[in-house]
Amino acid sequence: MKNFEASEIGETLETFTVVQKLEDLLLVSVPRDLTDNDVLRLRQQVLRDIRRHDSRWVLLDFSLVDICDSFFGRFIHSTAQMAKLMGADVIVAGLQDAVVETMVELGMTLPNIHAVLDLDDALALSREYKAQEQEAGAIGSDQGESESAGLDALYADSALDNWTEV
Amino acid sequence: MAEVQSQKEYFPINSLVDVVRARRRGLEMAQALGFPLAEATKIAVVISELGRNIERYVGQGSITVTAHSEDEKYILIVAQDNGAGIPDVDRVMAGGYSTSGGLGLGLSGSKRLMDKFDINSIAGVGTTIKAVKWLR
Repeated sequence: MKNFEASEIGETLETFTVVQKLEDLLLVSVPRDLTDNDVLRLRQQVLRDIRRHDSRWVLLDFSLVDICDSFFGRFIHSTAQMAKLMGADVIVAGLQDAVVETMVELGMTLPNIHAVLDLDDALALSREYKAQEQEAGAIGSDQGESESAGLDALYADSALDNWTEV
Repeated sequence: MAEVQSQKEYFPINSLVDVVRARRRGLEMAQALGFPLAEATKIAVVISELGRNIERYVGQGSITVTAHSEDEKYILIVAQDNGAGIPDVDRVMAGGYSTSGGLGLGLSGSKRLMDKFDINSIAGVGTTIKAVKWLR
């Protein structure tokens, strides 16, 4: 029976190739039919790989996911918060319209998480930021200050701690 | 549309894998009955939320999904357990309240996703939740 895939994924997630590196991006292809424990394990793996690859961005690709409940929404949010503490920003891609409609009606909002349509857009976002960062670095005398100024410019309307429930 | 016979499936909930299995099958049943994907997804999410509650708070119980296709078409979800009961249903249904560190969206959000949502919880006896979504 097809449904047993969930437990198989759970047992093999440690060696499952769902996380790959591309430029500054850590690509995470979120599998479907994850149990809550699988979800937590995936989050651990993502955080570990951010550190391993020194990633600046994490792309959570939800193309395969067709059921996203409150626990999953919490996973997106908590992963974003934890990644942020490690210096990485989370981008969400590939959310299907049925999934989005359900998430919003359930009461979940992810107001300030970057959402893009696909990998191309995610790459464009990370490159755009990198270019801004380099430009700011070339002009500014204080590298650290310039970097945060560039960040503020890109995230003018953004703060990940603004997770709300309705 | 071809006439589909009413179908009832029983899912024992003893583990998180059981929850995944029930919600996946619920999605399939809703689509087979004629629900568009977005509506079938909502049904699957409600099964997931109710199943998680059973697994997390009680440890075991069951979910029964009925795809009713005579006279009118609807999906009925019945989640049943013999746990301690929900102490403060009104507070839980108001949303944003959780005793497990969650978002407190599971039950309150599930109600929003369905057309009818009834909780019958008796302390020390258990909880039965019935939820219906009609195909329009």
